[in-house]
Amino acid sequence: MNRSTFFRFAAPSIVIMTLLMLVPLLMAIWLGMHFMTYNNVRDPQFVGLRNYVDVLTDPRFWQSYRFTLVYMATVIPATIVVGFSIALLLDQVSGFARGVYLSIFLLPFIIVPIVGTLMYKQLFEPSGLFTWILRNFFHYKFRYNAFTVKALIVLYGIWYVSPFPMVTYFAGLQTLPQDLIEAASIDGASRWQKIRHIIIPHVSSLTIMILLISIMDAYRVFDSVFVLTELNPIYKADTIMTYTFQTAISVQRLGKANAMAVLTVVGVMIFLIPNLIQSYKQQIEER
Amino acid sequence: MEKVRHPLGRVLIHLALMLFALYSILPFYWTAAQSFKTLKDANSRTPKFFFSPTWDNYRDLWLRAVPENGATIAYFVLLAIILLVALLLFAQYIPVRNGVIYAIATVGFGALLWAIPRLIEVSNFYDYFINTIIVTVGTVVVSISIGSLAGYALARYTGLAAVVILIGALAFRALPRLAFILPYYWIGVATGLLDTHLLVILTLVAVNQPFTIWMLRSFFMDIPRELEEAAMVDGCNRLTAFTRVIIPIMWPGIISTALFSLLLAYNEFLLVRLLTQTNWTLPVAISRFTGGEDPRHLTLAAASAVSATIPIVLVILFFQKNLVKGLAAGAVKG
Repeated sequence: MNRSTFFRFAAPSIVIMTLLMLVPLLMAIWLGMHFMTYNNVRDPQFVGLRNYVDVLTDPRFWQSYRFTLVYMATVIPATIVVGFSIALLLDQVSGFARGVYLSIFLLPFIIVPIVGTLMYKQLFEPSGLFTWILRNFFHYKFRYNAFTVKALIVLYGIWYVSPFPMVTYFAGLQTLPQDLIEAASIDGASRWQKIRHIIIPHVSSLTIMILLISIMDAYRVFDSVFVLTELNPIYKADTIMTYTFQTAISVQRLGKANAMAVLTVVGVMIFLIPNLIQSYKQQIEER
Repeated sequence: MEKVRHPLGRVLIHLALMLFALYSILPFYWTAAQSFKTLKDANSRTPKFFFSPTWDNYRDLWLRAVPENGATIAYFVLLAIILLVALLLFAQYIPVRNGVIYAIATVGFGALLWAIPRLIEVSNFYDYFINTIIVTVGTVVVSISIGSLAGYALARYTGLAAVVILIGALAFRALPRLAFILPYYWIGVATGLLDTHLLVILTLVAVNQPFTIWMLRSFFMDIPRELEEAAMVDGCNRLTAFTRVIIPIMWPGIISTALFSLLLAYNEFLLVRLLTQTNWTLPVAISRFTGGEDPRHLTLAAASAVSATIPIVLVILFFQKNLVKGLAAGAVKG
């Protein structure tokens, strides 16, 4: 395919991505330099870098940044361990049972996140099933407070994200070279040794991919936190996204929210740029 | 890995899987149960596992007023839905071309959605449901049409421009969405498109485009070049070779990608919340039920959650193979 045909085919997609992704991103940087509320959207007032300084000296911004990091540090390892274990177990069954399990396990991942969180939350309402179990069997009175809300966000994150590494690892296990496993069996390797020395190295490229996607997704977690905290500041459970949203919607400081979104983008670049460079090299080699 | 043979081992494996399955569906079960309870039963501190189910929550969620012949209409609507779903499920056994059956089913669903508000007084929730359908279908159609053109071009062209676009798309896919969504509000105000379906669809298409072109490209890469080259020797040009030869064999891949676009559009909360004031889609409408002052928010939230889940579960059941295939393709190819 030559260059001009390529551009004719790809033009609609390139135009929409330029107009509605690249331009808005540059606009966000520009709007971040303005004092803007809902009353003066058409006529924002230029304030230079004041919003950016404002964000960087805002203790609530750093608090939400810390909680986002805590969320990433707990949810990502947990989902990888759970997903990998379940994938290994699922690999042991076959036929109809495998299909049924797989469909059930995928449900939390496919459902609307707002609805999924709402459903998970129903278990912890004062009349919820888990509240009752905790009270009756563990003598623990569940109440919403700064700690339990954070714990719920993490627990829900694990419930919701685990199917993704699970199905990825499961697909990876299907391409496992059988001769290696057989050779290991002949040498008398135990099941654990096979997992440790054959399977984990075999899926390591998948682990890296899962890590990258999970980091990007966890960094922008919003829906579940929105539903579980109802944006109530007393729980101190804001993530970067929910705090930016609040600055835009409740506090109505659109300029500062834009500046915050831009700084968030800068923050994620640390993870993103090495990955992008690697993908670039890979694509150049493949062509 | 080879299978565990020991009977005790097999039992333990199934036990662990069943426990995890139970944990996965428990919130669904519990919410569904709550949605069929009266407010008193739902608020009971000791969970009622046995209760007399009631449709009241669904009635109050979907209807503004209860008509006299409500039961008849409800049965009629339910029957129509079951017939249409059955038609789709058994399409392959009916000796008519599948395309014809899908067309009939689509027209049938459309007619049903058009007829319902003319038969009964529906509530706002029905409007949000219709909004969701418009936005989801619009997003899927636009993003798949322009995405498959671009995905095909990216799979076949090897110049530097293609690599730059792919990497750019990858970067945009990873960025936190608020950085684009906040300026969309400004764009909406400037163009007067705020609170319209058009703006929501266009922005959703843009947000989903990087994912769509990457996934479609990976499917197009699997199709041998010789195929369209042969078609072009036989007198097709690029475009006709693409539409007549490539697209027909690409259907499974296109459906997989469309399914992910559908989920992304149907699930989107943040973008719709910022760009609409009245034309909400279901996630935004449902988020209003969390912690409302209305004492009934508990059961209504449950009913709305179940209502929003049923259509998506039907779609997933119908296209399950494509979904797993898409997840696996995305996983293995990165």
